[in-house]
Amino acid sequence: MGQVRQTRRVQAYDGELGAAVARAQDGDDTAFAVAYRIVQPGLLGYLHGFVGDDAEDVASDAWLVIARDLGRFKGDGAGFRGWTATIARHRALDHLRRQKVRPRPGGTEQDVLDLPGRHSTHEQALESLSTERALELVRGLPRDQAEAVLLRVVVGLDGPAAARVLGKRPGAVRTAAHRGLKRLARQLGVGGETGEGVTDEASRTLGEST
Amino acid sequence: MGERLSGDGVPGRRRAHPGGAVSDPSQVRDAAKLETVLAAVIRAGDLDPEAEQRALVAFRATHGTGAYRARTRRRDDWRPPAERRARRPVKLTFGVVFASLTLGGVAVAAIGSVGSSRDGAGQGTAHPSAVAPDRPGGGTPAASSGRPGPTDRPATAQDTEAHCRAYEQVKDRGKALDARAWQQLVAAAGGKDKVAAYCSEQLARATAAPSRPAGPGNSSEGAAAAGNATGGNTGASGNGTSGNHAGGTDNTDGNGQASDDKGTGKHK
Repeated sequence: MGQVRQTRRVQAYDGELGAAVARAQDGDDTAFAVAYRIVQPGLLGYLHGFVGDDAEDVASDAWLVIARDLGRFKGDGAGFRGWTATIARHRALDHLRRQKVRPRPGGTEQDVLDLPGRHSTHEQALESLSTERALELVRGLPRDQAEAVLLRVVVGLDGPAAARVLGKRPGAVRTAAHRGLKRLARQLGVGGETGEGVTDEASRTLGEST
Repeated sequence: MGERLSGDGVPGRRRAHPGGAVSDPSQVRDAAKLETVLAAVIRAGDLDPEAEQRALVAFRATHGTGAYRARTRRRDDWRPPAERRARRPVKLTFGVVFASLTLGGVAVAAIGSVGSSRDGAGQGTAHPSAVAPDRPGGGTPAASSGRPGPTDRPATAQDTEAHCRAYEQVKDRGKALDARAWQQLVAAAGGKDKVAAYCSEQLARATAAPSRPAGPGNSSEGAAAAGNATGGNTGASGNGTSGNHAGGTDNTDGNGQASDDKGTGKHK
């Protein structure tokens, strides 16, 4: 898993999204709604993993900016997802700054680490994964890993685009996404190291993050 | 966060470890499954219609007015890098061409205005190659040929005069006055608003000394110049020295053949 695969489902809409954005830039509000419905699920998922329960508010803020600045945007469907993610991220950072709330509430890590053993197989672990649980796990990651995973997997950006959104080098983002996914896999009990991997990961994690 | 950021910079043992795991097909499959599941559960399934309406209202508020097209900032340009790069040289080339045309136009305008306002016998007969080498010396042809020459009007005065004439042509054309020559002129005049007065004084002084170059000593130059009359119209270098001498008397005449006849006649 050296290469993070982007969700094909997400990217399948890029052609349609690009066309919708182009029409919206000419003032077509139906096209704007189409673009909204394509982009919003990933954007909202990203924000849920980033700012938690305030995601809807931050997303609303972001869409005001997106609507206002749409005429400035240049690019295709994939570019539009990157552009909107950048705007959403800035709104989220503003929001966090205002709230002085840490994006990651502490103390969840221990609970997270206890869990994998509940499932007998990998399939079960994944299939029973709830949205809340997944978000909890992602938000338990260090922030750079969490953001990298969310942008790559949930928003569906490619490496360079995710790096541009985060203002980092592509290599750093790739590494962060990779580590984040690796860690999630272990916590969920997938990835082939289930049995001994849990305790191993637990001690390593504690050693690293403190 | 912070502690993790520093960790990313170390491509050490731990980074190599997961890389080795790629070869295991079952792990690859698991990883793909994990990503698919994560995307499926974290991507928001049901969207709030009210939120969509708010976004649409905002969109209509800015785009319903029509003709909405703001400048694309760097952060708004998400075209593929190749496309972005390809466009830049076009812009750059256009800018360079435009700048050179503008600057060249100003220069030609300055030269042209100086030439047209003072061309006459002297200029019409002056061959550039005969005059240009003398310019650094500051109006020496007169001295070498033994005539009185413009000893009271050194090279700087001639430059000032030329600038004054050009100034009248370009003063209303935007940035031409930013050029160094104009700044010198303005400095010499003692202020932008005094340039006109300064220049009229300079030009009056220039025309007040008209008859001197018609002296006896310049037959040789006149003869040489007469042979080159058709080339004399090139202007710029010709007007610096010999053009001045005759400027006062033959001022308003056209250039070319007519002035050549006149100049030759006068000299001989």
